[in-house]
Amino acid sequence: MFEYLVRRLALMVPTAFLVTVGVFLLIHLTPGDPAVIILAESYTPEAAAQLHKDLGLDKPLPEQYARYMGRLAHGDLGRSLRNKLPVTQAIGERLPATLELGLAALCWSLLVAIPLGTIAALRRGRTVDVIASGVTVAGISMPNFVLGILLILIFGLVLRALPVGGFAALSDSIPDNLSRLILPAIALGTFGAAANMRFTRSSMIEVLNQDYIRTARAKGASRLRVVNHHALKNALIPVVTVVGLQIGAILEGALVTETVFSWPGVGKLAVDSIFGKDFPVVQGIVLMSALSFMLANLLVDVLYAWLDPRISYA
Amino acid sequence: MSTAAPAYTGVDELPVALEEQGPPRLRRLLLDHPRIIVGLLLLLLLAVTALVAPWVAPRNPLAVDPDNARLAPGLAHLFGTDELGRDVLSRVIWGGRISLPVAFVAVAVGLTVGGAIGLAAGYRGGAADLLLMRLIDGILAFPALILAIALVAALGPSLKNAMIAIGIVQVPVYARLTRAQVLQLKGLDFITASRALGASATRIIGRHMLPNLLNPLIVQVTLSAAAAMLAEATLSFLGLSAPPPTPDWGFMINTGQRYLINGDWWLTLGPGAAICIAVFGFNWLGDALRDALDPRLRR
Amino acid sequence: MRRAVIPLLFALVLSACGGGGGGTSTTPTGTPKTGGTLKVGQETEIVTLDPNASGLLVEREIYYNMYDSLLGIDAKLNFVPQLAKSWQFPDDKTLVFNLRSDVKFHDGTPFNSEAVKFNIDRYMNDPKSVRKSDLASVDSVEAKDPTTAVFHLKRPDGTLLAQLVDRAGMMLSPTAIKQAGANLSVSPIGAGSGPFEFVEWKRDDHLTLKRNPNYWRKDKDGHQLPYLDQIAYRPIIDLNSLLAALKTGDVDFVRTVAGKDVDGVKADSTLVYRDVPTLGFNAIWLNHSVPPFNDPAKAKAVALAIDRAQILKTVLFNVGVVSYGPVSPASWGFDPSQKIYDKPDPDKAKTTATGFSFTLKTANNQDSIQTATLIQAQLAKAGITVNVLPEEFGRQTTETRAHQFEAALQGWSGRIDPDGNTFSFYHTGGSFNDGLYSNPQVDQLLEQARASTDRAKRKQLYADLQRLLVGDVAEVYLTHGTVAQISTNKIRNFTLIPDGMNRFAEVWKS
Repeated sequence: MFEYLVRRLALMVPTAFLVTVGVFLLIHLTPGDPAVIILAESYTPEAAAQLHKDLGLDKPLPEQYARYMGRLAHGDLGRSLRNKLPVTQAIGERLPATLELGLAALCWSLLVAIPLGTIAALRRGRTVDVIASGVTVAGISMPNFVLGILLILIFGLVLRALPVGGFAALSDSIPDNLSRLILPAIALGTFGAAANMRFTRSSMIEVLNQDYIRTARAKGASRLRVVNHHALKNALIPVVTVVGLQIGAILEGALVTETVFSWPGVGKLAVDSIFGKDFPVVQGIVLMSALSFMLANLLVDVLYAWLDPRISYA
Repeated sequence: MSTAAPAYTGVDELPVALEEQGPPRLRRLLLDHPRIIVGLLLLLLLAVTALVAPWVAPRNPLAVDPDNARLAPGLAHLFGTDELGRDVLSRVIWGGRISLPVAFVAVAVGLTVGGAIGLAAGYRGGAADLLLMRLIDGILAFPALILAIALVAALGPSLKNAMIAIGIVQVPVYARLTRAQVLQLKGLDFITASRALGASATRIIGRHMLPNLLNPLIVQVTLSAAAAMLAEATLSFLGLSAPPPTPDWGFMINTGQRYLINGDWWLTLGPGAAICIAVFGFNWLGDALRDALDPRLRR
Repeated sequence: MRRAVIPLLFALVLSACGGGGGGTSTTPTGTPKTGGTLKVGQETEIVTLDPNASGLLVEREIYYNMYDSLLGIDAKLNFVPQLAKSWQFPDDKTLVFNLRSDVKFHDGTPFNSEAVKFNIDRYMNDPKSVRKSDLASVDSVEAKDPTTAVFHLKRPDGTLLAQLVDRAGMMLSPTAIKQAGANLSVSPIGAGSGPFEFVEWKRDDHLTLKRNPNYWRKDKDGHQLPYLDQIAYRPIIDLNSLLAALKTGDVDFVRTVAGKDVDGVKADSTLVYRDVPTLGFNAIWLNHSVPPFNDPAKAKAVALAIDRAQILKTVLFNVGVVSYGPVSPASWGFDPSQKIYDKPDPDKAKTTATGFSFTLKTANNQDSIQTATLIQAQLAKAGITVNVLPEEFGRQTTETRAHQFEAALQGWSGRIDPDGNTFSFYHTGGSFNDGLYSNPQVDQLLEQARASTDRAKRKQLYADLQRLLVGDVAEVYLTHGTVAQISTNKIRNFTLIPDGMNRFAEVWKS
C-alpha cells in the first residue's frame, strides 16, 4: 500500500510539471496585452512599457517561465494583474463561496440520488424505474446554465420566492446566505444527482444479487430492513468514491453556474480572469484545480482499497 | 458539465468484448432494445430538421426587423422574435446546423487522435506507453471546461476553434479506453497465436483488435457526442463559438437571459429546449447502446 | 460574464448611459436631514484607491467623495473653487493657485502649497504613475508661500484646469501617503480632505466611507456639510441584479441600468430616474491605413448608410442621443449647427462606394454585438458586407491599439475638456489614434485649441474640428449615452453632472 502511494505520488510530479508548462504556454500565447487592460483609459505607450517592465513581460518566454517556476518553488503564485493581490489570497478569498456552493450542490445531489436510486433498483424494470432512468438521462442532458435560467425564471421571476443572484456572506446574514444558495446549488448539483442516482441504482442491483442478501431475505428479514441494514451500506461504498471524482465536475460546473447567478466564487474568478487576461490568477486556479483533482483521484483509489478489502495493490 | 459520462470515470468500468464476435445482428438488437429505436428516431428527427432547415424554417434566421423586436409568440412568429426582431423558431431550427456538426467533428477529433494514442501506447507498451499516458494525464488533470475555454481564448473564438478545443478535451477518454482494451486483448490466446505465426502489427490491429474495440467505442462515441454538444453550448453561452449573427443555441440563451427580467421568456425557451433535447437524444441512445452492447450488464 | 471592466469598452459606456432628456440638474430640496447611510451599487469592481494608478470610472466616483481636487466643476461644466480659492494665468506658461488655508486632511495634516507640490511631483515622477500624460505640460510646481502654489508650464495648456479637477488634481495627505506606502491603494486611511473619510474596503464586497466632521464646506444656511453619516459602496456586477437590488432597497443609488429597463424604472413611483447626456461617445473606429478605409469614399459610404436613430432606439432604447462628432452635446465645445450625416441615405451611399466588405471587431458583450449585428443589416442595404468579429475585450483593445483592425466598435467615457475627447484620438501619432488618422489641418487645430485659455476662441476651433473630423469620417460617430441619477425617491438634493461622477457632499436622505 505504502509503495503504491509513493509510486502514485511520484507519477503526479511529471503530470504537474506538464500542467504548469501547458497553462503557461496557453496563457502567454493568448493574444491581448494585459497592460492595455490594466491601464484602460489611462493608457499611454510609455505607461504600458513601464508596466511591461514591472511585470517582467519584456523578458523572453523561457525566462519568464523559469522565474515563474522559481517563485512557485517558494509557494509564491505571483500577484493578480487586476488588483495586485497575491494570487493565493485572491483565490483564498473566493474559495469559501465556491466550497459552500459545491458542498450544497453535493448534498442536493446525494439527497436526490440515494433514495431515488435505491427505489429504482428495488423496482427494477417497473414503471418507477423507467421513469427514474428517463429523469436521470434528462438530468445529465440539461446544461446547468439552462437549468439555472429556468430556476431563475420560475422561482425568482414568476413565483418571486427566492433571490435570483448575488451573494451574502454567511457571517452577515445566515437566512440571506441560504436563500441565495438554494437555486445555484440545485443548478450545479443536478448533473451530479442524475449521475449518482444511476450509479446508486446499478450498485444497489449488484448488491441485491449477492448471496448474503438473499440469505437474509430467506431468513425472513423484511425488505426494508434488508435494504437499510445490509444492502445500502455496501451499495454506497462505490458511490462514495464516485462522489470524490465529482470534484472536477463541480469545479467545472461552478464556472458557468457562478456566472449565471453572480456568485462570487473561484469559478467566476476563473472566467473573469481568463477574459481579463489576469494570467497569474488563471495559472493559480488551474494549478490548484489540477492538483486537487489529482489528489482526489488518488484519495478515491486509496479509499476504495480501504473500504473494499477485495482490492489489493501489489 | 463533464466530458465523459459519469459511469465511465474509471478504467475498470469499461464494457468488455473479450471474444472475437461477429457484428451483432442489428434486427435482433433493435427488437430486444426498443430504447435504441427511440434514441435513433430522436436524433434522426434533429438531423433531418437541421438538414432541411432552409425549407422548413418559416423565415430567414438572419433577417433583422428592429420595429418588431421581442414580439411574444403568436401566429406570425410561433416562438416570438428576438431582441433584433428575428424569428426565434427559424433561428432554433437553423441552430441545429451549428450544434450537430460541432458534436460530430469534435468526436471525430477525439476518436482519431485519442484512439491512435491509445493503440500506440497499448500495443507498443514500454517507454512509449509511459510517455503518452503522462501526456494524457496532463490533459486530464485540467478541468475539461477550463481547458476548452482557455484553448478557445488562445486560438480566438470561432466555430472551428470550438470544435478543435472540444475535440482535444475528448482525447483522453478515447486514449484510455482504447489502451485498456488493447492491453486486455494483447494477453489473449488468439492474439498471441497470431503473433507467433508472424502476423504483422497492422494485421493484428486491423483484423483482431479493431473489431473488438468497436462495441465500447460505439457507446463512447454516442455519449461523448452528448458531452461535446453540452460543451459547445457552454462555450457559445460564454460567447466563445460561432460569431454573430450565426444562430447558435448557447449564444441565443445568453442574449435572451438578459430579457428574462422583462418577462420575455421566449427568447431563451426555444434554444434551451433544443439543447436539452439534442443532448438527451445522444445520452439516451448511449445509455441504451451500453445496455445492449455491454455483456456484463446482461443479466 | 463580466460586463465591462474598463470604460474604454463600448458596453460600459453604453450601459453607463441613460435617457435623452435634460431638465433640471438638481433634485427638489426641502429641509435637509442629517444622518443615515447611503448605499450605492456599483456595476464594476474597483481595483485601486490611489489616484496615481486609477483607470476606472467607478474608482473616480468614490474618490470624488473622499479626496478634494484643486478645482471643482458645476453642472454646466464651469470650474468652481475647491481646495483652490482662485487661480489665474499671469502669463501663458504660469498658473497660480490661491489655496484655502482652513483645510486639514483626515489625518490632521494641514493642507498647503507644500502638499500640492508633493502630490503633483508624485503624479509626475512616480514610476508607477499613470497620471504623467495628464500633467505633461507641467514643468514644476513651486510652493511660493503656504497658500500660493505656482505651476510652471513647459508650454501653454488650455486643458490643464480640467485635468486638475480629475485625478491629477486630487490632493492626498503627504503624511498618510508616506505612512501607507504600497498600502495606500487598498487602505488610504486619513489620506483625503473630502466630505467623507475612508473607513474600510473589503475587496469585491463593500467599501465604507464615514462623515468628515471637520469638512471645510457649509451649505447656504451655514449648516455643516456633509449631511450623510456614511456611504457604503457595493459592487453588483450584473445589471439585472443591480436593478433588483435597487428595487428591493438593498441599495439606494446606482449609476446605470440596462436601456431596456429605463422605462420600468421611470414608471416605478418609489424610484427616481433623471439623466443628462454624457461627455463620452460611441463610434466605429476606422483604420485609415489599410483597405478598405484607406479609401475615403468607402468610409463616407459607411457613414451615409448607418441609421443612428435605429441603433439608439433598438440597442439603447432611446436612452441617449445620436452623435454628430466626438464632442458631446453636453460640452461647451459642441456645435449644434452641424449635423452632417443626420439621416441614413443608403442610395447615396451606393453611389459613393459599394460592393466592398470589411471586418468589424467588437467587444464580446451583448450591447456591442447587437449594435454590430444591426450595423451589418443596415450596411447590407447599401451593398456593403460586414463580417462581425466579437473578441474578448482585452484582445480587441490590444489589437486596435496596435492598428490591427479594419473597423472596431469602441467607446470613450469622455473628459471635461473637449481636448480629452479629441487630441490623442486624432492628432497624428496620438496615443489613442488607433486608426492612424492624419490630417495636418486637424493637427494644427488641435494644437491651437490646446494652447489657448480663451474659451470663446477654443469653441470656434472645436467647431472647425468637428466639421473636419465628421467630414473626413475620421470615425463613424454613432451615439452619446447619458449619465443618470437612478435612485430610490428618498435621495434629495443630488446634482447631476455630465462627467457622471456622483458627488454626495450635499445629498441627504429623507
